[in-house]
Amino acid sequence: MNKQIELEKGRVLIRVQNLSFSYGSVRAVKNISMDVAKNSVTALIGPSGCGKTTFLRCFNRMHDLYPGNRYEGEILMEGRNLLGKDVDITELRAGIGMVFQKPTPFPMSVFDNIAYGLKLKGIRNRTELSHRVEAALKHAALWDEVKDRLKSGASGLSGGQQQRLVIARALAVEPKVILFDEPTSALDPISTSKIEELIFRLKEEITVIIVTHNMQQAARISDYTAFMYVGELIEFNETDVIFTNPDVKLTEEYITGRFG
Amino acid sequence: MSNQNVTDYKDKLFRVVTFGAALVVLVVIVGIFASLVEQSLPAIRKFGFFRFLTTPTWDPVHEVFGAASSLYGTIVTTVLAMIIAIPVSIGIAIFMTELCPNFLKGAMGTAIELLAAIPSIIYGMWGLFTLAPIMGNTVEPFLQHTIGKVPYLGSLFSGTPLGIDILTASTVLSIMIIPFMASIARDTFTLTPQVLRESAYGIGATRWEVIRNVVLPYSKGGVFGGMVIAMGRALGETMAVAFVLGNKHQIAHSLLDASATITVTLANEFTEADSNMYMASLFYLALILFVMSFLTLAAAKFILKERAKS
Repeated sequence: MNKQIELEKGRVLIRVQNLSFSYGSVRAVKNISMDVAKNSVTALIGPSGCGKTTFLRCFNRMHDLYPGNRYEGEILMEGRNLLGKDVDITELRAGIGMVFQKPTPFPMSVFDNIAYGLKLKGIRNRTELSHRVEAALKHAALWDEVKDRLKSGASGLSGGQQQRLVIARALAVEPKVILFDEPTSALDPISTSKIEELIFRLKEEITVIIVTHNMQQAARISDYTAFMYVGELIEFNETDVIFTNPDVKLTEEYITGRFG
Repeated sequence: MSNQNVTDYKDKLFRVVTFGAALVVLVVIVGIFASLVEQSLPAIRKFGFFRFLTTPTWDPVHEVFGAASSLYGTIVTTVLAMIIAIPVSIGIAIFMTELCPNFLKGAMGTAIELLAAIPSIIYGMWGLFTLAPIMGNTVEPFLQHTIGKVPYLGSLFSGTPLGIDILTASTVLSIMIIPFMASIARDTFTLTPQVLRESAYGIGATRWEVIRNVVLPYSKGGVFGGMVIAMGRALGETMAVAFVLGNKHQIAHSLLDASATITVTLANEFTEADSNMYMASLFYLALILFVMSFLTLAAAKFILKERAKS
């Protein structure tokens, strides 16, 4: 009953093949195969507990931080299996950024928050650091609001500003992919729309995978949408198709709000 | 009497009783402070404040008393104990929150709690009969042959290593305060939001970088407060120190010299205090310790409160 499209080879950045993930005895992601197109926004939707966040956290192997994790299958990015034993996880995470539900500024100044990832990459030169911090903040449309308070603590910013700071921090290390885990669910409507605009713009340079509870959000900003249900990928297609003419009845029921 | 009146009456009684219980605390504190002041008045009148604090002489025969030597011993043993205990405690806390496999966590936690539960007299006995010989025969000669050769720093390790000295006392003290510091540090580390750690991992930080740049800065206020509380404990510790410090009233320049702390002086000398001035001077020492501990604890509370606000 599952239905999914395959993308043309040239446009695929990440190919997920028969991915299952379990922690302990719980199998939270079941045999998912799916393509993620380069320079696009792919939305993961589905009711609470459907495994979409768990799926998202496979891409940067966040699960490796906790005991009892088990991956099966492959996530191929440019031909390399991200789940391979030989993968340097630290390096992998530097190339695949992540933004969480709640803003997570580090307990340091605005400037240092952005510079932190750059320093981890070994950039020490002050001039280069400040150039790249400025570029990242401009990129995240935050520069004008914080340029006079770079040295003050990041916790003094508003929630929406903090979230854009976190996005700038992720952007600064120039990742190929950024994973968003319900990035606006803790924000007010104005902050939300700013973040949505930002994500929409980001795909010119990077690839975005976003988990969202908000179906309008998925419809507004994504190019492709994957609908998940109890750990399985039910339907994957272009967003327009999913929201106007889904193939699977379950998808239709979910997007029309009949359950979830 | 109507039912309503009975309820009112009980309510009032309850309030009075609980208020009374709370009042006991205040009364005791003020009472102790007042009696310390009262009993030490002769010494306060005779030696004044700054003169008492700065006089190193403690001469019961000629009735010349000064707090400097025992104050010095108190501060030096406490500071040295802190220097030993802080890195060890933070190490323990980091291991327990970030690195320890789950099956070990419970056992480690219990072990630390047990360490805190050992009565201090036992630490003292162990210090005297087990640690002091080891320090005197092995550790201290080793230190003399290594750090002892370094200019300036070396003078800290001069003298004959006997094992009954400041270094041994501080080591015992540090072992006693480590459980407090380590468990407070562990608790504050676990308060660091998981998602904050994850976002540091998420931009490519290693485990050590996450600990150093996220967990430690996030919990520094709480850790600092815990240190100050542990310091208050070290300041007031008596039995364990009494066994291994040598009880000698002098401002020792070497860590391998005997010394005396305020608490040890008090514990040892009340039975010998045959004159009023001797007695009053001991009370004066106690008063100084009381104020020091009070200020330390107040500082810790203040810091923790400021931290809670931000």
